[in-house]
Amino acid sequence: MLQCIFLLSDSGEVMLEKQLTGHSVDRSICDWFWDHVISQGDSFKSQPVIASPTHYLFQVVREGITFLACTQVEMPPLMGIEFLCRVSDVLSDYLGGLNEDVIKDNFVIVYELLDEMIDNGFPLTTEANILREMIAPPNIVSKVLSVVTGNSSNVSDTLPGATGSCIPWRAAEPKYANNEVYVDLVEEMDAVINRDGALVKCEVYGEVRVNSHLSGLPDLTLSFANPSILDDVRFHPCVRFRPWESHQVLSFVPPDGEFKLMSYRIKKLKSTPLYVKPQLTSDAGKCRVNVLVGIRNDPGKTIDSITLEFQLPPCILSADLNSNHGTVNILGNKICSWTIGRIPKDKTPSLSGTLLLETELERLHVFPTFRVGFRIMGVALSGLQIDKLDLKTAPSRLYKGFRALTRAGEFEVRS
Amino acid sequence: MFPQFGATAETLSKASTMVFRIGTDAHLYDDPDDVSIAPLLDSKFDSEKCEALKRLLALIAQGFDVSNYFPQSTVLTADKVVKNVASQSLEVKKLVYLYLLHYAEKRPNEALLSINCFQKDLGDPNPLVRAWALRTMAGIRLHVVAPLVLVAVGKCARDPSVYVRKCAASALPKVHDLRLEEHTSAIEEIIGMLLNDRSPAVVGAAAAAFASVCPYNLSLVGRNYRKLCEILPDVEEWGQIVLIGILLRYVIARHGLVKESIMFSLQCTESSHSAKDGSDVDFGLVKESTDLSGTCDSEFLNTVSRCYMEGPDEYLSRSSYANRESFELNGAQFTSGKSNDDVKILLFSTSPLLWSNNSAVVLAAAGVHWVMAPKEDVKRIIKPLLYLLRSSNASKYVVLRNTQVFAKAMPSLFAPYFEDFFIFSSESYQIKALKLEILSYIATDSSISSIFKEFQYHKRNDLEDYIRDPDRRFAVDTVAAIGLCVQRLPKMAHICVDGLLALTRQEFMTKDFGFEDQEAGILTQVIMSIKSIIKQDPPSHEKVIIQLVRSLDSVKVPAARAMIIWMVGEYSSLGEIIPRMLTTVLKYLARGFPSEAPETKLQILNTMCKVLEGATGDDLWTFKKIFSYLIELAECDLNYDLRDRARLLKKLPSCNLVSLGLEEGTNDLPENDLHIVAECILGRQTRKVKPESFSYRYYLPGSLSQIVLHAAPGYEPLPKPCSLLLDDLNVAEGTSEMKRAADYSGTDDYGSSSDPSDEESASDYGSQRSVTESSGSDRGDDSEFISEGNDNADPLIQISDIGNASENQNGVSQSSPANLGELMSNRALESWLDEQPGSSNPGLPKQSQVRISSARISVGDVGKRVKQKSYSLLDPASGNGLKVDYSFSSEISSISRLLVCIEVFFKNCSSEIISEITLVDEESNRAFDSADKTAVVNESSLTSSDDVPTLVPMESIVSLEPGQTTRRILQVRFHHHLLPLKLALYSDGKKLPIKLRPDIGYFVKPLPMDVEVFINKESHLPGMFEYARSCTFTDHIVELNKENGDSLLVKDKFLAICESLALKMLSNANLCLVSVDMPIAANLDDASGLRLRFSSEILSSSIPCLITIGVEGKCTDPLNLSIKVNCEETVFGLNLLNRIANFLVEPVLS
Repeated sequence: MLQCIFLLSDSGEVMLEKQLTGHSVDRSICDWFWDHVISQGDSFKSQPVIASPTHYLFQVVREGITFLACTQVEMPPLMGIEFLCRVSDVLSDYLGGLNEDVIKDNFVIVYELLDEMIDNGFPLTTEANILREMIAPPNIVSKVLSVVTGNSSNVSDTLPGATGSCIPWRAAEPKYANNEVYVDLVEEMDAVINRDGALVKCEVYGEVRVNSHLSGLPDLTLSFANPSILDDVRFHPCVRFRPWESHQVLSFVPPDGEFKLMSYRIKKLKSTPLYVKPQLTSDAGKCRVNVLVGIRNDPGKTIDSITLEFQLPPCILSADLNSNHGTVNILGNKICSWTIGRIPKDKTPSLSGTLLLETELERLHVFPTFRVGFRIMGVALSGLQIDKLDLKTAPSRLYKGFRALTRAGEFEVRS
Repeated sequence: MFPQFGATAETLSKASTMVFRIGTDAHLYDDPDDVSIAPLLDSKFDSEKCEALKRLLALIAQGFDVSNYFPQSTVLTADKVVKNVASQSLEVKKLVYLYLLHYAEKRPNEALLSINCFQKDLGDPNPLVRAWALRTMAGIRLHVVAPLVLVAVGKCARDPSVYVRKCAASALPKVHDLRLEEHTSAIEEIIGMLLNDRSPAVVGAAAAAFASVCPYNLSLVGRNYRKLCEILPDVEEWGQIVLIGILLRYVIARHGLVKESIMFSLQCTESSHSAKDGSDVDFGLVKESTDLSGTCDSEFLNTVSRCYMEGPDEYLSRSSYANRESFELNGAQFTSGKSNDDVKILLFSTSPLLWSNNSAVVLAAAGVHWVMAPKEDVKRIIKPLLYLLRSSNASKYVVLRNTQVFAKAMPSLFAPYFEDFFIFSSESYQIKALKLEILSYIATDSSISSIFKEFQYHKRNDLEDYIRDPDRRFAVDTVAAIGLCVQRLPKMAHICVDGLLALTRQEFMTKDFGFEDQEAGILTQVIMSIKSIIKQDPPSHEKVIIQLVRSLDSVKVPAARAMIIWMVGEYSSLGEIIPRMLTTVLKYLARGFPSEAPETKLQILNTMCKVLEGATGDDLWTFKKIFSYLIELAECDLNYDLRDRARLLKKLPSCNLVSLGLEEGTNDLPENDLHIVAECILGRQTRKVKPESFSYRYYLPGSLSQIVLHAAPGYEPLPKPCSLLLDDLNVAEGTSEMKRAADYSGTDDYGSSSDPSDEESASDYGSQRSVTESSGSDRGDDSEFISEGNDNADPLIQISDIGNASENQNGVSQSSPANLGELMSNRALESWLDEQPGSSNPGLPKQSQVRISSARISVGDVGKRVKQKSYSLLDPASGNGLKVDYSFSSEISSISRLLVCIEVFFKNCSSEIISEITLVDEESNRAFDSADKTAVVNESSLTSSDDVPTLVPMESIVSLEPGQTTRRILQVRFHHHLLPLKLALYSDGKKLPIKLRPDIGYFVKPLPMDVEVFINKESHLPGMFEYARSCTFTDHIVELNKENGDSLLVKDKFLAICESLALKMLSNANLCLVSVDMPIAANLDDASGLRLRFSSEILSSSIPCLITIGVEGKCTDPLNLSIKVNCEETVFGLNLLNRIANFLVEPVLS
């Protein structure tokens, strides 16, 4: 059971402490933690489970904010970590992003949320929909209202009906004039291309996002045209397992609003939409760089927001890089970023230039890895297709919408 | 170090933040102290109060102690909340609760004041208010309120709102956390009830409570195991995590391990090793699946499963004593996963959870399959586990740590998925290192080439840029992993070695610009890996050695050089080419000797000796010359180690050489010794060092201990297989079975023959009623009749003897009709009682009535059998031979109603006379002036709210002869129901501190009354004045067995039960038995419906306290009692209830 949760800013300041059980945890644990972060650097920061002399710590770092939870007894560590992730999701959802200021500004809400989300160290209500009904998120309207009226209560005085129902994710009986449901396929392509240009691995992680505004208690069924290509799946709690097991059909009562219905993975894809051909040659204290980017397989829709990023090796004194399309920036932490946007019809974008090595170095012996970003609207690159979406007990008018989007995930090209 | 630190300041300029901050609580956080908080708190406006509370919260958030506002904020605000709940906003309430919980432990007294407010809130129609009140109240953590909280929890556990029930479940661990032993059974009872709840949300919370309160009480789970399995997919994700673990433990404790699972295969391989007989038949299936899944490290699996079963610490300590076999699992502790429904249903209900969105649920479900699933089904956990690798970095690490063990135990399962463990450049070192380790476990002949390509890439890649610590380690790890891979797959040795050699050549390029740590480390590791590969099969790697030797010139890292030189010595006689090269190599080494590092120098000397040892013919001369040259150089080296080594070596081979030169074969004794010494120094390494001796600790998958690699507090290995016996379950299942039994009333154990008598007895209750009723006015007759009946041992007469001759003093009080007691005021009754100080068991009024389903009788002869329990106050050892025992007396104090009479027995166990024994109150050292004065003063002082414990001074014992026992009546006022009273005992002028423990059972006195009056009173004390608990009762079994033995005439079982129950009650508390209801419709063996009523009133306040005990269950089995107390004084009633439940459960003293 978690005993305490601390929210630390990136300078190590304890912004919030929430004691969860009677055995309160002293703040000095944060000092211990921060001392170690400073002395051991990032490798300590990336350790999710830490055994300190007095407590076991779970840490999750999001947007520069460290969520630190303490326990003294055995408990599933993933439970602590997942919970912290959930807290950070809910907070960033409520506050419209996470940073030090926004947490301090809304500390009352953070406290109230934490109090609802966890009781005696065990998660209580973590469903965002229900939390929204219990504690109103701070929005412009309520802010203005609170300034004008001086009444700042954001705590609902009735218990959301959903807490009691057997579908705890759905608010009880919402009413809409227009019944709409939108289904988005959002895919991320992970790929690794090695030095020889061969595809080491290429897979797609996708999500089915649903935005539903349906009155009453709708029972939806979603089926795919080609479910067999799915390698593995994970579901929102609302999905019934049995229909999926028997017919590969998603049957569910959706939460109200937007949510992630399922996520899936499709492995062993054969090709990527883009090719990236880096050429690096190094001698005489210099390194010549030439990178070409082009379309390999036309997905049928335009490829947007193409970017290329790589970390310059530390032994480089200066870099002189130019491109025939898009802009090249070298950021403070020696990351070179090339923003291409769309690929023009008439030419192949290329980046070329030289890197000047440190004086005693004859040649560069290791080359950087290029990270590629892109976005394609309207296409699910995995080829997954939604067959149909049915609604039992259909209301008079139902508008259904489908969209798809693919973007690059961990898309790496090695050189 | 903190790149974002600067960023936040930069990106959000003050101006823009000001705009966003309007309407938020920013100013409160920034400057919580800028307004004085106290007046705001007292404000009558909600908004101002709210602001004050927010300021307090901000101070808490920033780590200031603002507990000094505690009384003001909680009490005042809470009070106001009470006064106008309707108008007060919930936000104020919520904020007060937040504040209160933060400081409740620091300021218990003030927190206590808010209890009333919570109690009111518990009755609020809004479930949210009820839930909050319960959560906060339970969070206050004060021993004093624990009974109240428990009642509140019990009530909320039956609340119509699911949310409130859920909060009730999560409040239980808080109560339990206070470590009140007397409440444990009540808590467990509520947990059992909540586990049986209809709503999955409640079940999840109840599972969490179960896991933290009573994880060993698996019989609670057994009762509704199937239901829990079925409800599992609907339970909330957090509850699922805990519930999965509980169900797993239950199945193992109940049925043992699964024969087809991984946990079993190793047991069988072990046994088939030891006895290679017909075991193939039995375990054919397992063998098949072992073949199916290819190689699996059975010894490793064995270790893992034993660690799961008994915890690594026990296992390791035992195995170090070479006593591994003591914990042998026999076949009976296994069950078949194919035929056992409980196992099947668990696997069936957990398998869809592998698709859960919550990684913790997936891992927990995977853990169940890992332990329980048949081997061929384990593979279904692989894909979900690998999918988890896409989740957040933090959980990725945890998942990999668990996967690491799985992969090591069953590499074949993961082998096809090797690509998933390829590394992305953005991952942290820990994750990369774990992936690498797993890759080296799961590499197969088919995948090694692509894995190897990856390795090479990564090594290069990570050499790339970072002088940073982690990545250097990672590159080194990669090279080590290559070595490991080859050790597992000797076939690939050539490819790998070629690759490694290529690496060494690459490294040479880098050496030009100085030795950086990272590269030196990598080069060393490369050579080390090559060395370990060569060691496996030296002859086939001859060329590799030659290549390495050739590269000596370019390898500058001392450690790496030393290793190559070592290889020269080690394999100096290998093959054709190496011996021919030796001369050149040694000459080269000798030439460069002075410029070498000490490490390398030592190795050159060693190698030289080894070569000399094996050398023959022409080369010998050359070698000897080189050797003596080297020795001379080494003897004047700066390093003393080197000088010593040189002298030693000089001595050794010179003898050897001399003998060689003179005549071969003369083996003198000293020479022989030297040979041995030489062997020892230069000999081949024969001892194999196990690489991962420390990581023999394995903990259950998904546990914290597995991550931190030590048993975290509260970690428990799997329970002993089949440790949960069916009997345990049956007791627990008693209630449900009882109901079933009641349904089939005809088919009981007694068969048909008992049925007529059953009916007969039932009808006889009726007839009896008239007799008793008629005799009600005439006591004498009645007693006569009863005694007669008792003599005849007639089973049909239910009414026991009241007017027993030995109970004369009882008779007086019994003679008072109950109605009289009602007519008299309490005060009058008390004074009336005072007139009979000797009456120990007043009031056993007889009542008998028939209702439709039950008969009412009275039980009389228990009075004489009532034995007061005696407690030890002072044992002879610590009291210089004086032994003091005490027992609570049912006498009523003549001085004040606040006093409790205690009978104290002083016994002199020593051989000398003890004189001047007296007991005084320790705290007030008031001299015991005179009894009269106290008696006069007492009435006023005691009733006032004086907190000083009081003891009516005891008549001191002048002297006590050896062996003599004296009895004194002590009148004590306990101020608290639970806390012991400190007294001082003076004997022979010495002072001995003693503690007198109160027994709440004697804080009451019997209040005789009629049944009608009782029921009437009871109906006036409903709702929050009524508390109930249940417990089991076993005393009567002994009684029944005894009677079965000595007489053929079966005494009525109900009567026996009534007697033993009443006896138990009356010997532990000062009560008055009002009536007994007997069931008549049910069969003879079913005691359900039996009900006993006791009445009493609280000594101090004369508030009546009514106790009703309902019985359920078969006569011959342990009975389930439901105890109900109706009393206006809540805390007292609760404490009394708990006390009763506790003593009823206690086994009878023989």
